[in-house]
Amino acid sequence: MKPVTALIADDEPLLRERLRSHLAALWPELALTDDARNGQEALELFEQCRPDIVFLDIHMPGLNGIEVARALARRAQLVFVTAYEHYAVEAFGQGAIDYLVKPIDAGRLADTVQRLQRQVALPLQASHALDAVLDQLAGRMQQRAQPRQWLQWIRASVGNSVRLIPVEQVRYLRAEEKYTQVVWEEGEALIRKTIRELAEQLDPERFVQTHRSLIVNLSCVSMVVRGVNETAELHLRDGDEVLPVSRSYLHHFRQM
Amino acid sequence: MPPTTSRPRTADTAWPTRQQALKVAVFTLLLSWPLHRLSGTPYHAVFGRIGFIGMALLLAYAAAGRFKPHWLGIAAARLMAVVLTAPIAALATVLATQGANFITYLGERQALLGQVMMVFLSIFFGVLFALAAMRKERKQRERADRLQTQLEKDALERELLDARLRLLQKQIEPHFLFNTLANVEALVASGSDNAGPVLRHLIAYLRAAMPRLGDADATLATELQLVRTYLQLMHLRMPDRMQFSVSDVAAAETLRFPAMALLTLVENAVRHGIDPSMDGGSIEVGGRRDPVSGRITLWVSDTGVGMSETAQPGTGLANLRTRLQGCYGAGTRLDLHEATPRGVRVELHFDPGVKP
Repeated sequence: MKPVTALIADDEPLLRERLRSHLAALWPELALTDDARNGQEALELFEQCRPDIVFLDIHMPGLNGIEVARALARRAQLVFVTAYEHYAVEAFGQGAIDYLVKPIDAGRLADTVQRLQRQVALPLQASHALDAVLDQLAGRMQQRAQPRQWLQWIRASVGNSVRLIPVEQVRYLRAEEKYTQVVWEEGEALIRKTIRELAEQLDPERFVQTHRSLIVNLSCVSMVVRGVNETAELHLRDGDEVLPVSRSYLHHFRQM
Repeated sequence: MPPTTSRPRTADTAWPTRQQALKVAVFTLLLSWPLHRLSGTPYHAVFGRIGFIGMALLLAYAAAGRFKPHWLGIAAARLMAVVLTAPIAALATVLATQGANFITYLGERQALLGQVMMVFLSIFFGVLFALAAMRKERKQRERADRLQTQLEKDALERELLDARLRLLQKQIEPHFLFNTLANVEALVASGSDNAGPVLRHLIAYLRAAMPRLGDADATLATELQLVRTYLQLMHLRMPDRMQFSVSDVAAAETLRFPAMALLTLVENAVRHGIDPSMDGGSIEVGGRRDPVSGRITLWVSDTGVGMSETAQPGTGLANLRTRLQGCYGAGTRLDLHEATPRGVRVELHFDPGVKP
């Protein structure tokens, strides 16, 4: 009979070694493939060696453990290994998924090994419960990584370096022919993005276009003065600037 | 059209205040009495002229503040308006009382003298009142400015307090703690000589990172030591993916430095730069003191994945900026630069002499 094989995926070498030595003591017949140092390597090694069991760290660079598990699509017995992803542990705790917490407890690993020894004898089964949990977790991790997609930093060449300007420091942005002038708390710079692009990328709750060639940070506005002919002027705090609001953008300030 | 114009410095209204009108009315009523006695003209006739001139000067004073030409200062415009209005208003009173006879009237020596005196008095009292009014306005403005400054100062202090509170609430990240402990456990299990030193690093880090109220004893030297300890622990966990160097800064032992300020930047570099990168990278921490100005520049530079334009800045950086400005004054800067070929370089510029 072909020996049972397993793959360990973890980005921390000492922890890979430790799991190896635990498994060598608890399950000497288990054959371990080369270790994977990240999610990408885990997938490549899986395709190469087709192990029966995969030990997956959740927090890995590139693809995380949850993403790898979804890509493996139930072609191996999965065991997640995690230091403290409490939202994941919560989801795992509902059953359907085997998991270990770091530092690994030998007694707990022994239980897992026993369960794995029973399961590898059986054919792999599709599990809707497992798929559902993985989908849910993948969605949550995605959300944690990118809650919103609004522009948060503006890249601008200042002198001979590229500054990353946090958008909350930006006072206003003004079209300058093909470029856009960024005026922020500490200076001014020209960037290549157009006002139109910026208007789409900036959070509309914080930035408002007031003129064909102008976007203003609302938190910098101290006063709105109505002008003649359906226009207005914005006075900015901490400075002398007065910026125009043209007729077609005045509706943003109707309620103020 | 140029979207920016500088704010014109003019008065908000073209009309005098009710208080100013009342003052002028009372004064002209009083002034009319000695003039009535001196000239023998009936009181109501004297007051009619004096009162009219007084109100005309007041209106000119107020309007000049609002509609002044841009090349003239507000004080000069108001004084000029008063001086120019006085003879015109005086002449107008003559026109009103004498009608077409005014030329014959002014031909009389006595009447002309009275007229000249009237103009002189108008200018004298007009300028006097204008100066007093402007002095009062300046005082009011200064008071408003003081109030504004006080408000801003209060706001800054509140922000600083907030920043301190948030620092207190900052906890050791459980993910970091358990992962590091798992590494220590692995070292102990394998009988590695490294186990002891690593455990000591972890203890030093935990002690420094424990929440505490005052950071009065924290210096740049202790901060650099904390950063080294943290980076050593991370290097242990990712020896193949993370290299680092921390250089000494001259006179760091005597420089007060807000605890965990540099550590926050280094943690960010690991978390957002190195950790998400499959190939990893290196982190360099350093500093220099400008020999002329005494200003200090500290930097944390990494060769990690760099920052996406939509990466959440979190509260950490804004919080840190507030704390540093609270410690070293408003001239303190915290800049982020894109490193070449990749990664992020964060620079901290401050003058340690502001509040030693």
